[in-house]
Amino acid sequence: MESAKAFRVPRRALWRAGAREASPAFLFLFLVFVVPLSSLLLRSVTDPVLGFGNYEHLLSDLTYGRVLLNTFMVATVVTIVTLLLGYPVAWLLVILPTRVSRWMLAIILLSMWTNLVARTYAWLVLFQRTGVINRMLMEIGLIDTPIPLIGNLAGVTIGMTYIMLPFIVFPLQSSLAAIDPAIMQVAAISGARPYQVFFRVLLPLSLNGICAGGLMVFVMALGYYITPALLGGTSTMMLAELIAVQVQSLLNWGLGSAAAFILLAVTLALYALYARGLGLGRIR
Amino acid sequence: MLLSPNRMGGGRFVLYTIGALVMAFLLLPIIFIAALSFGDSRWLQFPPPGWTLQWYRDVLYDPRWIDSILVSAKVGLVVMVLAVLLGLPASFAVVRGRFFGREVLRAFFISPMIVPLVILAIALYGFFLRVGVNGSFLGFVAGHLVIALPFSIICISNALETFDESIERAAVICGASPAQAIWRITLPSIRSGILAGALFSFLASWDEVVIGIFLASPELQTLPVRMWSTLRNDLTPVVAAVSTLLIAMTIVILAVVAIIRRDRAR
Repeated sequence: MESAKAFRVPRRALWRAGAREASPAFLFLFLVFVVPLSSLLLRSVTDPVLGFGNYEHLLSDLTYGRVLLNTFMVATVVTIVTLLLGYPVAWLLVILPTRVSRWMLAIILLSMWTNLVARTYAWLVLFQRTGVINRMLMEIGLIDTPIPLIGNLAGVTIGMTYIMLPFIVFPLQSSLAAIDPAIMQVAAISGARPYQVFFRVLLPLSLNGICAGGLMVFVMALGYYITPALLGGTSTMMLAELIAVQVQSLLNWGLGSAAAFILLAVTLALYALYARGLGLGRIR
Repeated sequence: MLLSPNRMGGGRFVLYTIGALVMAFLLLPIIFIAALSFGDSRWLQFPPPGWTLQWYRDVLYDPRWIDSILVSAKVGLVVMVLAVLLGLPASFAVVRGRFFGREVLRAFFISPMIVPLVILAIALYGFFLRVGVNGSFLGFVAGHLVIALPFSIICISNALETFDESIERAAVICGASPAQAIWRITLPSIRSGILAGALFSFLASWDEVVIGIFLASPELQTLPVRMWSTLRNDLTPVVAAVSTLLIAMTIVILAVVAIIRRDRAR
């Protein structure tokens, strides 16, 4: 005991990190993140006149209602499709031998980190009237005339599903990897059929991964700008586009920032749900 | 193993098929773009009637594309350095600090990741217009740093959390000054985390487009912004060539990160 004490370093001698070390980053984010966002919020109730006129306008006008509907519809469909496609992939990543899963992981990461505009450009070309997809569908006789894939929600949904897939695979993978395989064996030994093992054991046990990944994708899809703007049309506008158009083309800052804060409020509410349901630690 | 594959009966084939199809779906646009960039059809015919390097020549001989590449690289490098310079002390504070509100501060540091980019973009656009830095190099660096900083802080603080502080204490016992202990023991031990943070910060800036669309001026455009504004008018194969160059770069960076990770695992 005595000798251990002798080797203890005096508190003063060690450099102690404290709040002071965080101040440069804090000041920077305060100035270039908090201040701009707050003044935007302020603008939604002061521009052009003081009051909640912008919010009233947004929520009462049918055109804007349609934009909200489009946004939530696309986000919902994208979330469901990415879950359906991502779950088997996450499962395979867990059960396949490393030499195979390593390559799958590499493909997922490559797609995730490839430039967003480049990926959207690829879909833009593939989706043309005379593009590869239409020609292929016509060749195998599924359709007689080219179907429009651009300027409507079909293209937007496919393009966004593509971009969101990696974000659902990783949370699913970590929740599937955390399940003790013995539980599955016990279920099988006790006479459960494979589909019963899946629906009554595996699926409920991975529910937190499904919720985490699904919520994450849903929130990201709500605020997506690039893909809907390039693949969608004017009649299928989504919320992020509406915000951008109001501010950039129409210089209607009041309405644009009001729409931005509806989006932000929904986003923060969903993240709060996420944090509460799963514990803050998971976000890290 | 979860449900070993040979116990799953017919379900196994369904699983394998979906897995293979999804992998094909993920690879399809990337391979397609790369093939397209070497095709000689101006109208993006596929499969291309012949092969050419013309689109790459167009990129490399067009001063506007070269300019954008340089702007992106410069902004990315400055952002990378600043993200580490700000992120390193901030990571020490959130990992080792003992002060009130530390967890709140940590959440605050990663909060730019949560805000939809388009909102951040118009907020910065409005703010920069007032301060007078819109369309400037400074504006790009500041805007990109907001989204790069969380990456840097997450990578560095994760590395710092796995580093055993008693090693640093041992160095002090052996006579090192606190600063020396940090400089010669702690920082070298977490260098892979710092490097990963730097790379991800660079990549976050390099790939950023939404904020850039609002901040760009005709004279100053990052590469993704130029791709975006080109695409709005014309689906030229030149963009395919630029995209392929970017994909090649992504592969190189991911390979570097993989090698760093492997070294750390050893």
